[in-house]
Amino acid sequence: MSKILADICYIRSGDKGDTCTAGLIAKTPQDYPVLLRSVTREAVRDLYGDWVQHDVECYPMDNIQSLVVVMKGALGGGATQTLRLDQTGKALGHGLLRLAVRE
Amino acid sequence: MKNTIRLGAGSGFWGDGIDPAMELLEGGELDYMGFDFLAELTMALLQRQKLKNPQAGYVPDAVQYISQMIPLAMSRGTRLISNGGGVNPRAAGERIAEQARSQGFQGKRIAVVEGDDLLDKLDHMIASGVSLSNMETGDSNFESIHSRLVAANVYTDSSGVIESLVQGADIVITGRISDNAVYVGPIMHEFGWKHDAEHADRIAAAIVMGHIVECSSACTGGMSSRFADMPHMGRPGFPYFDISADGTAELSKLPGTGGHVDAFTVKEHMVYEIHDPRRYLMPDGIPDFTTIKLTETGPDRVKVSGATGQPAPDQLKLILAYSDGWIGESLALFPWPNAYQRAVKARETMLERFERMGLKSSQIQFDFVGLNTLHGPAAPMPDMQTLNNMNEIGLRCAVRTETREEAEKIRRAASHLWIMGPGGTSFGTPIKPRPVMSLWPTLIPREFVNQTVAILEA
Repeated sequence: MSKILADICYIRSGDKGDTCTAGLIAKTPQDYPVLLRSVTREAVRDLYGDWVQHDVECYPMDNIQSLVVVMKGALGGGATQTLRLDQTGKALGHGLLRLAVRE
Repeated sequence: MKNTIRLGAGSGFWGDGIDPAMELLEGGELDYMGFDFLAELTMALLQRQKLKNPQAGYVPDAVQYISQMIPLAMSRGTRLISNGGGVNPRAAGERIAEQARSQGFQGKRIAVVEGDDLLDKLDHMIASGVSLSNMETGDSNFESIHSRLVAANVYTDSSGVIESLVQGADIVITGRISDNAVYVGPIMHEFGWKHDAEHADRIAAAIVMGHIVECSSACTGGMSSRFADMPHMGRPGFPYFDISADGTAELSKLPGTGGHVDAFTVKEHMVYEIHDPRRYLMPDGIPDFTTIKLTETGPDRVKVSGATGQPAPDQLKLILAYSDGWIGESLALFPWPNAYQRAVKARETMLERFERMGLKSSQIQFDFVGLNTLHGPAAPMPDMQTLNNMNEIGLRCAVRTETREEAEKIRRAASHLWIMGPGGTSFGTPIKPRPVMSLWPTLIPREFVNQTVAILEA
């Protein structure tokens, strides 16, 4: 069976305004380059559809083998006005673990 | 000057537990304990409370926790610093002073740091040419929210905390200083660092450490992806760290407490809500998180070194909060068999009720709880057979309206499902409508911000 991101990394996500930031942490140093090539802006946008309205940026952190994914317009207006139950995107980021791994 | 100082975290949010903080204060031999209580929305909630009662507007937990900790903190020589003063740090300070006095701690010094509340200065700023454009949306039409403003608080730096400590404060209570400034202030004070280029890397180190511990147990196993490996999270160890004058620090928690401190738990919180890791914009400085090195130096002990950064930015982030209508919400659960079909039918019935009741709304959202509430379109839908064999499925509805009366219609329409809904429909207590406060973040020049310190004696 083909691998998904949940097999090679962990995640923690949160919010600032209407932006969701998700930190993906590689499970092993070998997983890190795989993580970097598997997460693209296009893949993230395709995954969430209209739940991510604006830009997606990816910031690598070689020192801790992690990738920070910043998704703008991703919280239905932001924690204080969103109609979603997950107001601060704590759960939303975990959806990234569904992305396919590019070996 | 000491070679190293020790700081511990006493709270990570408004609602955190006090017992792990007490345990750390008791056994941690701390020089300082910091308490962060504020989130983006908190200031607006507190401002609303203050409008009803001029003596309110601080985080009640901040006063209660600190008052409860006074005897132990004073006997241990630990100074307490918190941003839980919210929009009324002076009232919080007065309450704490009264509590200190009543417990026999006359003469103890409580510093009140103000200057972050700019609600009365906005007109002056606009007249001076500050645009107050929304930094998130680019919207420059501030007038569209002007009459609905509830709060305007700027994220301020640690200057007020430093000045408080210079004046011999035992307890410091502030308004909206940045979360990490609660920790950066005492570090800069103890080591005599200034907000200049020479100290930029060391201040960056202090901000990084503040960031790591500011959510309390979030760096010791709370919120962890490895939750199954974290023992006794009902008695978590709150974090503490020893920091040296060169900015190098070691993070740990007390023996016998729950959770873990290792390179992974620290990484988990380093990546949290930082946006661009090379430029974490904070009022005290701009650390680069990509130069940090983590080293496990013992059981539940991690060394954090290598921080670099740039001096503090010229602009500060001001968050304007304004009233923006209401949200009505409902939740019902449906049983096997055919739980999904029941939920779909209930959705159809609710939409018919909305139409019959003449609901005026700007946005309606339905979620199927158990299927797509948390990941929306990213959640794959099971096939129909699987769906209808599920043990239970919920239907959640949330609606945005202009008035409370309209939002009440969601509660009523949901209640109508008691009998109009499919067989097996079950509820808990209906959910009350809630007012919406929207946020308008903007950047302003530092010169409009003037922190002040007042010392109250117990």
